[in-house]
Amino acid sequence: MNLLVSYAWLKEYVGLKETPEQFAARMSLSGPSVEKIMPQFSGLDGIVVGEVLKLEPHPKADKLRLVTVDIGDSVSKLATRNPQLTLVCGGSNLCVGQKVAVALVGATVRWHGQGDPIVLQPAEIRGVKSEGMICAAEEIGLGEAFPSSDDHGILDLGKEIPELNVKNGTPLLDVLSGQDDVVMDIEVTANRPDCMGMVGMAREASAILKHPMKWKEPRFSSHVARRTVPESRDVATALSVKIDAKKACSRYIGVRMQGVKVAPSPWWLKRRLLSAGVRPINNLVDITNYVMLETGQPMHVFDAHKLHTRHPELGSGSKTGKSEMLKQVQHDVAEIHVRFARSGEKIRALDGKTYELDDKILVIADTEKPIAIAGVMGGEETGADANTADIVLEAASFDPVVVRKGSRKLLLQSDSQLRFEKGLSHMAPAAAMTRAIELVRELAGGEVVAMKDEQTLKYKPLKFSITTDEVSALIGIEVKKNEMVDVLKRLGFGVKLQGKKLTAEVPWWRDHDIESGRDLVEEIARIIGYARIPSVVPFETAPRQTDAVIQWEDRLKDLAKAAGYTELYSWSFVSEDLLRKAGFDPSHLLKVQNPLSADWSVMRPSLLPAMLQAVADNQEREKDLRLFECSNVYLRKTEARSAETGARHAGLRASDSELTWSDLPEEASQFMLAVRDADEGEAWRKAKGYIEHLFETFGIGGVSWKRVSNEDLWHPGRTAQAFKDDVPLATVGEIAPNIVGNFKIKGRVGAAVVNIKEFMAFAKTSKAYTASMPFPEAKRDLALAVDANVDFRDLEVAILKSDARILSVQWFDTYQGKGLAEGKKSVAMHLLIGSREKTLDSAEVDGAMNSAILACKEKFGADVRS
Amino acid sequence: MKDQLEALRLQIQQDVKAAKTLEDLDQIDVKYLGRKGELTAMLKGLANVSAEERPVLGQLANQVKQTGLGLIAARRDELNREKISVIAETERVDVTEPGIRPPEGHLHVMTQTIREITGIFEKIGFYRTRYPEVDWDWYAFEALNMPPEHPARDDWETFFMDAPVSDKKKQGKMVLTPHTSNAQIHELERHEFPIRMLNIAKCYRRQVDATHTPMFHQFEGLYVDKDVNITHLRGVLDYFAKEFFGPGRVSRIRPHHFRFTEPSFEVDFSCGVCNATGKVNGQKCKVCKRGWLELGGAGMVHPNVLKACGVDPKKYSGFAFGWGIERLAMMKEGTQVDDIRILYQNDVRFLKQF
Repeated sequence: MNLLVSYAWLKEYVGLKETPEQFAARMSLSGPSVEKIMPQFSGLDGIVVGEVLKLEPHPKADKLRLVTVDIGDSVSKLATRNPQLTLVCGGSNLCVGQKVAVALVGATVRWHGQGDPIVLQPAEIRGVKSEGMICAAEEIGLGEAFPSSDDHGILDLGKEIPELNVKNGTPLLDVLSGQDDVVMDIEVTANRPDCMGMVGMAREASAILKHPMKWKEPRFSSHVARRTVPESRDVATALSVKIDAKKACSRYIGVRMQGVKVAPSPWWLKRRLLSAGVRPINNLVDITNYVMLETGQPMHVFDAHKLHTRHPELGSGSKTGKSEMLKQVQHDVAEIHVRFARSGEKIRALDGKTYELDDKILVIADTEKPIAIAGVMGGEETGADANTADIVLEAASFDPVVVRKGSRKLLLQSDSQLRFEKGLSHMAPAAAMTRAIELVRELAGGEVVAMKDEQTLKYKPLKFSITTDEVSALIGIEVKKNEMVDVLKRLGFGVKLQGKKLTAEVPWWRDHDIESGRDLVEEIARIIGYARIPSVVPFETAPRQTDAVIQWEDRLKDLAKAAGYTELYSWSFVSEDLLRKAGFDPSHLLKVQNPLSADWSVMRPSLLPAMLQAVADNQEREKDLRLFECSNVYLRKTEARSAETGARHAGLRASDSELTWSDLPEEASQFMLAVRDADEGEAWRKAKGYIEHLFETFGIGGVSWKRVSNEDLWHPGRTAQAFKDDVPLATVGEIAPNIVGNFKIKGRVGAAVVNIKEFMAFAKTSKAYTASMPFPEAKRDLALAVDANVDFRDLEVAILKSDARILSVQWFDTYQGKGLAEGKKSVAMHLLIGSREKTLDSAEVDGAMNSAILACKEKFGADVRS
Repeated sequence: MKDQLEALRLQIQQDVKAAKTLEDLDQIDVKYLGRKGELTAMLKGLANVSAEERPVLGQLANQVKQTGLGLIAARRDELNREKISVIAETERVDVTEPGIRPPEGHLHVMTQTIREITGIFEKIGFYRTRYPEVDWDWYAFEALNMPPEHPARDDWETFFMDAPVSDKKKQGKMVLTPHTSNAQIHELERHEFPIRMLNIAKCYRRQVDATHTPMFHQFEGLYVDKDVNITHLRGVLDYFAKEFFGPGRVSRIRPHHFRFTEPSFEVDFSCGVCNATGKVNGQKCKVCKRGWLELGGAGMVHPNVLKACGVDPKKYSGFAFGWGIERLAMMKEGTQVDDIRILYQNDVRFLKQF
């Protein structure tokens, strides 16, 4: 999480001498990282302070006036040489003597705070020349800093900043942010909420840059008890604090103050809040925010009059009526309860929204109902407003997890909650409260009438040890003992060194992130600077080989790329809808319990659904699509086991039994490709050809192809499975037309699936050499007319068996139609005939051909076609 | 006979000069110098000359033959050249028309980046592993020193599987891993040292916007052995900077926080655009933050992690590092992808650019 830090403000806590750039560069290397440096206010060039000298009516417009303003010597830099300008202005709150923001020609403004910024030009407004403009706050980006109650009001600087004392013509930027101040956006890691405040940031800077701290920790107990509680009051009865949820709240300091006066905060405080991105409200609320920004400890202020109080005479739970209030107020006991909400309770929070609470949400309650969501946000009803005079200030320690869970449940975030959920120290509330009391007395008056500090655990500083040898061994360079001690002391640790044993007492503000002696190594290393640690490359030969599946995936991907296929990366989780479209039943598949959307809810059992979607999405972009993906699919382990017996290809879908996922899925690596092109009838052949090419490349021979016709996904007449030693290695063919239709894909889709685990058991990267035939072979063509349902593979086998001199049978065409009887096809083949003993003469070749023809005639009733 | 030979030489000279085609030359060759040619016929007459004249005439005949062959060869070259010069005109094509290409496939930019990273680390002795993407809470969180209430274990940030919570040892909830760090635990549990693991895998987090996808890729390096320290981590990171981004690029580490390492670091690489100065022509560099690009995390393996895997932290130490592949790919290619979701939309117009 990030903190916005005004550099000038930070300097009040630590004696920094660096420029902001130097500070950023050095801090980022050893501690919180400065991500950006920016001016607090931007776009104020050419806007100066002017004083209204004269007001005259505009001759032609009722609502406009001619205003003469003095802009002092700022004119020397500007086009106009006159220290007095007459401007046309419609501001309803204009008066003589007023200090206003004057935008000179060339400045950037937004008309009425809306639209694009424009560069101001000399203008003529209803016939009167105006070289500049008197601005409303929102016209120059200051709407947040100076919210106006009047739509037509201009920014009255004297009213907004009573302490304003500058010469006319002073650039507005200098007035607002002080010269040279910048705001830094600093990233604070989750383990360092102590740095989510100026004091914590100053402590880091002090340790890293070796500058002394200027901040003196306010002393809590003596301060409050001795000096500010008037002795005449009954301290015990003006406030009671009860922590019911003891595990969720380790400390609650409540302080009741009376006689406070609500007013706007002075400019210095407003400016600091604004620099940190916090909107000023009123002095009381601003003080609680200021203390949080300063110390990192969130605070809250309640209006004590608005609490349901227990009146000693009337008993508990009576809401004090307004008329009685004045009389009774000094006897009322403001009761604070820290408890979990009761189901059905509600609270309207300061953001104006009503939240329904339950027994997991920690609240601060009065005698009747919740008045704040603990650590997250206060309630609107009990907040401080313009009439508040009697307050209860809160500084407490809430359990980080309880705060986080409550905030997530209510979908409500705040600066307070973001700090609490990181884990704040049990000791932090005391200093914060002391500081808040100081500020209230200074800015709002009033006196403390009661103070309660309830604690459910006793704080004891943590102590950890490590040896100096261990420190140096892990860092990798020798660090001197006294340097280690020095670094830790600068960070606020109490250090004891006995021989090589280093014992450090953890400063309270680090009580959540320092968990062991090992953590001290980091503290030492980062402060001495990582740049001091040399860089040594640990070369070695790999003790192990890369996982075999990964190696095979790479080979398969390379082959597919070389063959013209484009690789896809699809989501591992898919929608139920997509699965159904692709013919899968999602009901038994592994699902995500908390998906981001229904589109990403089921772990895919196959690469096919997303691939078909990709074909559909791309079909208009390219006619010939050749796509592949090689990635994991998520299957039941039992299913995976049955794969060895051949069931998995047939069972891409989950089995029917009602199984829960009591074991992890098998993450099976799958290769899948799809072909769609202009030559529609041949899609299946391209898919099959690819797999043949794959087998050939990786030395898998003797594959038998078996027809698959009982699969919903696949075309029943155009699909086959490749088996090697009865293990199915791949399924190829055409996707069933109805499935393709579900995706609105035009044409046919050929596809192939290879399960890598089975494939790699047979695949080889090395090959055995076979000597070429020593004598020339004869090549003869043969065309046979057979029944259309005779498979080529059967003809091939019969021919090869018929004569040993027939070395190979190569299919080259199948024909059906004219010239052939109904139900017949003609299969054309090249036969390679030869011998290792000699060159065959033509009579011998004819003999082999005749054996082939005869065999096919006998087995399949084949006729030779000439 | 001498005169006859001289006449033959002249005749050949004339004929060769007059030859218009390669075929004419072949004919001349056969007619005068061939096995049944005129020179052969003349040589048969050598038998009738005196023993003194015979060697002189023989030598002359040979000279005529060599001259003839030479003239034919020279003329053949000439005619060949003429023929080629004609081809340039008669067989002219428009060479700006496209060629016939082999099929062009494409590997996804993720595959390419993963391979590049793998190659870099294999050179210094790392091996790739594969461990589950769907894993038990123990591996994804518990053994990585993440307390039960750590925000990453909320179903706000991490995907959980719709599966019963296992009460077996080292199990718990079934998680869709939000990082590749579960591989550290699996690898450490093997107790085979040294460990020089590189695990690249898909990860999942409940986040989707222009710079986040709910599925993404990370790589996780783990080096555990005796006497491993921060200098070695710095060495590996510097080495990677040079190999991946190019010579002159370096890394730096800054403090950060992860539960499973201590100390933990943020890893930055020097910006190649501004050469780590943060300024280009006096203007702020738009690519980096003050000269450095934030890329990933690293740290020395937390003793609690080693202990959870039954490894003695007094004996072994090590470091882990890793970051997102998507971001790395975008940095390397200089690809100005406004929305990284395009990586997983399977649009061929995108895929074919890589």
